[in-house]
Amino acid sequence: MSDLVADLRERLAAARLGGSEAARAKHTGRGKLLVRDRVDRLLDPGSPFLELSALAATDMYGGAVASAGIVTGIGRVEGREVVVVANDATVKGGTYYPMTVKKHLRAQAVAAENRLPCLYLVDSGGAFLPMQDEVFPDREHFGRIFFNQANLSARGIPQIASVMGSCTAGGAYVPAMSDETVIVREQGTIFLGGPPLVKAATGEVVSAEDLGGGDVHARRSGVVDHLADDDAHALAIVRGIVDTLPVAPPAPWEVREVEEPALDPATLHDVVPTDTRTPYDVREVIRRVVDGSRFSEFKALYAETLVTGFAHVWGHPVGIVANNGILFGESARKGAHFIELCNQRGIPLVFLQNITGFMVGREYENAGIARDGAKLVTAVACSVVPKFTVVIGGSFGAGNYGMCGRAYDPRFLWMWPNARVSVMGGEQAASVLATVNPNLTTDEEVEAFKAPIREQYESQGSPYYSTARLWDDGVIDPVDTRRVLGMGLAAAAHAPVPAPSYGIFRM
Amino acid sequence: MRVLIANRGEIAVRVARTCRRLGLPTVAIHTDLDADAPHVRACDEAARVSSYLDVDEVVRQARRHGCWAVHPGYGFLSERSAFATALEEAGIVLVGPSAAVMEQMGRKDAAREIAIAAGVPVVPTGADAPYPVLVKAAAGGGGKGMRVVRSEGEMAEAVAAAKREALSAFGDDTMLVEKYVEHGRHIEVQVLGDTHGTVLHLHERDCSTQRRHQKVLEEAPAPTIDAEARDRITRAAVDLAAHVGYVNAGTVEFLLDAETGEFYFLEMNTRLQVEHPVTEATTRIRGQELDLVELQLRVAAGEPLGLTQDDVRLEGHAIEARVYAEDSFGGFLPQAGTASIVRWPAGRAGTGTVRVDHALEPGQVVSTAYDPMLGKVVAHGPDRESARRALVEALDATAILGLTTNAGFLRALVASDEFRDATIDTAWLDTAQVEAPDADVPRVLVAWVSAMLTSFERGHAFQSDGFRLGAPPAPTLVELDREVLVDRAAGTVDGVPFRQLGAADHVLEAVVDGVTVRAVVNVQPGPAGAHEVVWRGQRFAFTPPDRLAGTAVVGDGTITAPMPGTVLDVRVAVDDVVEEGQVLGTMEAMKMELSLKAPFAGTVTAVDVTTGAQVPLGAPLFVVAPQ
Repeated sequence: MSDLVADLRERLAAARLGGSEAARAKHTGRGKLLVRDRVDRLLDPGSPFLELSALAATDMYGGAVASAGIVTGIGRVEGREVVVVANDATVKGGTYYPMTVKKHLRAQAVAAENRLPCLYLVDSGGAFLPMQDEVFPDREHFGRIFFNQANLSARGIPQIASVMGSCTAGGAYVPAMSDETVIVREQGTIFLGGPPLVKAATGEVVSAEDLGGGDVHARRSGVVDHLADDDAHALAIVRGIVDTLPVAPPAPWEVREVEEPALDPATLHDVVPTDTRTPYDVREVIRRVVDGSRFSEFKALYAETLVTGFAHVWGHPVGIVANNGILFGESARKGAHFIELCNQRGIPLVFLQNITGFMVGREYENAGIARDGAKLVTAVACSVVPKFTVVIGGSFGAGNYGMCGRAYDPRFLWMWPNARVSVMGGEQAASVLATVNPNLTTDEEVEAFKAPIREQYESQGSPYYSTARLWDDGVIDPVDTRRVLGMGLAAAAHAPVPAPSYGIFRM
Repeated sequence: MRVLIANRGEIAVRVARTCRRLGLPTVAIHTDLDADAPHVRACDEAARVSSYLDVDEVVRQARRHGCWAVHPGYGFLSERSAFATALEEAGIVLVGPSAAVMEQMGRKDAAREIAIAAGVPVVPTGADAPYPVLVKAAAGGGGKGMRVVRSEGEMAEAVAAAKREALSAFGDDTMLVEKYVEHGRHIEVQVLGDTHGTVLHLHERDCSTQRRHQKVLEEAPAPTIDAEARDRITRAAVDLAAHVGYVNAGTVEFLLDAETGEFYFLEMNTRLQVEHPVTEATTRIRGQELDLVELQLRVAAGEPLGLTQDDVRLEGHAIEARVYAEDSFGGFLPQAGTASIVRWPAGRAGTGTVRVDHALEPGQVVSTAYDPMLGKVVAHGPDRESARRALVEALDATAILGLTTNAGFLRALVASDEFRDATIDTAWLDTAQVEAPDADVPRVLVAWVSAMLTSFERGHAFQSDGFRLGAPPAPTLVELDREVLVDRAAGTVDGVPFRQLGAADHVLEAVVDGVTVRAVVNVQPGPAGAHEVVWRGQRFAFTPPDRLAGTAVVGDGTITAPMPGTVLDVRVAVDDVVEEGQVLGTMEAMKMELSLKAPFAGTVTAVDVTTGAQVPLGAPLFVVAPQ
């Protein structure tokens, strides 16, 4: 595990550099701060930052779009948790690739679900034009950003933008759609059409500053509300704006005094086998994540392949659902029962996924395992309490659904570096495909057929393949599990929990 | 046997200490401003007066409280013969000489005649004195009403200014003119006489480290004179005191010409001196420690001293540093404010011992209403160098936060080669530059503490520990006068290696770039909170930039108060046309009178002050629009 974590840290360090050395030098040479320096300065001194999907777009687009060219996450500004969305102009001019759009929208979804103010640090050339078909027209494409801004604002979730570089074409609507906007003098520009487009369209020759510079927008157009001298000034103004926002409502559940786990989370590296096929007791993980290592188990003696129980994480109450083997009918029923309990009591749910799937075979199908699986899926799908999922091992097939995979809207979903996600295991998939293929006769042919399928599942099951495509909110060091859950819970505590209601449970 | 102490501050506290030891009940006087001052608490009883200078009121209170004696301390009424007379009439003993002697010695012209009559050399005066000359108030003292004049052309203006000061300070503008010694050393002799005819001396002090005639450092014995010169000068002092039948403690001040070795009588102070602790530290009477206040009280009670000169012995060397509320590295401007943290040194330092006389406590407001001296740090050692080193150490341990003091300046001065070599004459500080301590180390210390305090905000998942996913914690950016990056994980501050050794009770000990430092740090939360440190005696207050402050429209034509103080007069009105450098008004703070001048020729567009107004530092007073 330590090797996997070292690899993760290396990948993160590389991604956090952003663009090429030349691009960064050019950026700072203009007196601009690098995007992560902007974020650090925006946040309170010493504030933690729960960065989302730092490894987005890994190995995509030729591997040149670090973090998908945008930094998103949750941090503290003036003592309030906020969502930050900051373009990295050193990565392809901060233009929006498909994953950039997805990441931006994901950050807005986090803000919406947790009712967190959005701070946009804009420095982007707009949509990446060569891929316009994948970023512009669809429902979850570029336009959705502004749709979200309008609707977030309508829900009373503040939208604040600081224009610290280009803000062109559609991008111009980020500040324009915001509640309150700052621009940096002789650095930020906002226009629907840049000088080249203006010249092409009307023949008018105009400088960027005269067309849509800070002075123009602060004094004449009224597109921005505050004119800043430089990045630091702009960020100070944004902080000042956040200081005027109403304070967050109290948490919908009782938050207790924090207690460190009795078992050192650092030992997670040693107690968890890297090979997902090696069984171990998931309670070893739970005890290293929860406050005081105290876990009060529910139905400890029943359906032992699914561990359920109550605990606290960073003072927040949680109901934990953790795989400890394959899912049987009774495991699913136990899980559904427990999830109902948590919803009834308003206790957030934490899913620790390590699941190869539901049990198969005549006995189980005939006994109605699909019926029981449906109960679990219904309970998960209809849960009204915040859900958090950590994939600590395998995540295969319907197990992914029952254990609150990405499709089940957990507030956050994180992956450990040893995690695997796919519809089934590579070997199983290859075997199934080989069995249904009538053209394979010899063992050699079968093997030759299966190898690339295995390889495909191997590569696509990697947590880095997943995180590159925003199937999760990031790959984390297992040691950080407790912390990210704590921050997720603290973020979730901003939104009220509605009354529970469910669809029909198949009995 | 009650004693009324007609003073305030450290000297009142110091007199009360001896009274208590001798079993004499004490009565403090205080103004409304001082109702809760340390000197009031140091005494057994308290009496309110409207002013420390109100003779009738002080005498009335002494009588009302049934006091047999009044100790006047120094300053205030201590050399007012009218006060001595009033006490005599009331049948109350003044701990000091008789009103008649005080009257004689208090007037410089009279004192000079007495000196001549006693065979004591005096400074050439009047028409006999060649330029440069010193113009000074006959009734003066404490540097007020004094001017050095180098040519006849400057004479009229200097005399006018000195007269103005003298009139406001002493109610008497009689002026004296005398030879001005360029390289003079200030040597003074402590004398003591009883009512039975004994007059003796307790050796001399050297107070040559002065600035504008205000003593900064004082020491005993004088470091540059030999035994023969010491003998001559102390004998002259005793002769003078004996000549007038001097009773109680007094000080005869001489000017020693460093080039010729000649010395001249300057004046006699008929009271206890600020710097008396250096004499106490270095004098043994039949092997016993000396308490000058005790001897003063015994003499006042009519007891004989019962001593001969041979009973008085010198022991080691002592140096005193006067701690003032002033910004020595910022034009010596007087400072006012509330002392937040006050740490005085104590006990031993190196091979020496340290004594501190002070009356400054945390939370105390230091105003410009009274003398800016906050306390005195005195170091004693077997020889001058050990005393000097002990004093450096003691000043390093002196920390006053909340307002700026001269402790850092004193520290630099005591540590200087010039002071070590005793080459500082009375004019040296008027021209020499003492290098201000560098702000780099203090800035690093404040930044570290600031980041440390930030990290104390814990107990929830968004606690301020700089957590980052899969990376070391983010360094903390601390905004001081400039930005400082504190990387606690890497152990650097501002790129400099930093290791904390200890931090408790505002004292930070750390190794900064390989050097061990100790400082007193005060960081309070919020942008308006304190970001202060005292290191080597010097206070550094770092003000983070207020990025959200609107750009102030205070152009070059706005004249602001350069110090907190009182406006003496306003000489212009709105729409007056003024020349560059024209005096628009004057203000006074503590012991300085300042002219407020037009920065350029133009028209006065605003006058925001009236005569007598109390104005804070930086208050806009006048606005001049350029022509």
